[in-house]
Amino acid sequence: MDPVLIKMAIGGLVLLGCIGLFFGIGLALAAHRFAVQVNPKVEEVLEVLAGAQ
Amino acid sequence: MGRIKYHKAAGLGAILLAVLLLLATGCQSQHRFIKKTAFKGTKAIIITFAAPVDETWATDISNYRVYEKPDPDIQLKIGSIVLSNDGRTVTLHFEEALNQNQPHMVTMDNIMSEGKSVGSAFVKVKKLYLGVLFSVLIGAMLIHNFVFTKYLGLCVFFGTSQKKSTAVGMGITFTIVMVISAMMSWALYQFVLKPYHLDYLQIIVFIGLVSLSVQAVDTILRKINPMLFKAFGVYLVLVIANCIILAVPLILADNEYNAWESLMLALGAGLGFLVALFLMSSARERLELANVPPTYRGLPIAFVVAGLFALAFLGFSGMSLF
Repeated sequence: MDPVLIKMAIGGLVLLGCIGLFFGIGLALAAHRFAVQVNPKVEEVLEVLAGAQ
Repeated sequence: MGRIKYHKAAGLGAILLAVLLLLATGCQSQHRFIKKTAFKGTKAIIITFAAPVDETWATDISNYRVYEKPDPDIQLKIGSIVLSNDGRTVTLHFEEALNQNQPHMVTMDNIMSEGKSVGSAFVKVKKLYLGVLFSVLIGAMLIHNFVFTKYLGLCVFFGTSQKKSTAVGMGITFTIVMVISAMMSWALYQFVLKPYHLDYLQIIVFIGLVSLSVQAVDTILRKINPMLFKAFGVYLVLVIANCIILAVPLILADNEYNAWESLMLALGAGLGFLVALFLMSSARERLELANVPPTYRGLPIAFVVAGLFALAFLGFSGMSLF
């Protein structure tokens, strides 16, 4: 195959990988920093309910 | 407390520095004897000198040569020259209207002031850069309002325009997300996608950046303002699927805007959406009390009102600033 095309494809993979890695770490840090305390009982009650609606 | 004050001061300082930079790029002068050059109306250029110039020199058409910067071969025809009473300002009147989007170059041979030559000058005349930025901002906000003249982003527009408070909150959040994601997309396009010939990925990358910034706003807003977060409900996530927020980076990439112009376009698009939401929510709050036929209640009458707003915004079309 044309080496230029392969180069472009690899470039795209590297770019999207870098964006993913960068924002993945960024969002993980943000989620940690701005964590909201949720009462675990809310989840448990929702679990027990039928959930038809 | 002290830390907050420090942050505020730093922010103000940064804004001040940016404004000064803009002013510095907007009013530069290129020759020691020439103080200012500017367009006047559509057919004239004004040149202001530091000292009075001789009338015989100033009114001689053969002393001036003017052309548009990209075409040095095409000399523009000067119709007449007017010298002001104090002898410091010369107005060149042209026979045809000037294309003010292009900078113009003016050459003046052997400028004579009080009987002595002060040398030749070669100066650039261009629109004030702040004016260009302002026209991009107002253009995106009113003249080419994304909702009322391009019909983009209607889903979120009808979804959140029922109450004024939600509408304003949505507009502000939208503007913030828009500015963040547009600036990121602009930088990524200019510095990564274009130099490495990865333009074909632009839509995927832009959608990715938008959804990532929405996710960040979602996480932060959930903690900082839970009431507003509840009021947005599903619409905050819907910003990801909003066409305006994807249209702006694509327009930026197409038109090769620079950083300031991109910022102004993103801000204008966001503020335009805020204006549209505010107008619509004001009208819809009154519609709640109006005597609307039952078949038209709710969305149908909202669409009719949006059409009327679009007609009103048509009045801005064709307007140009500066």
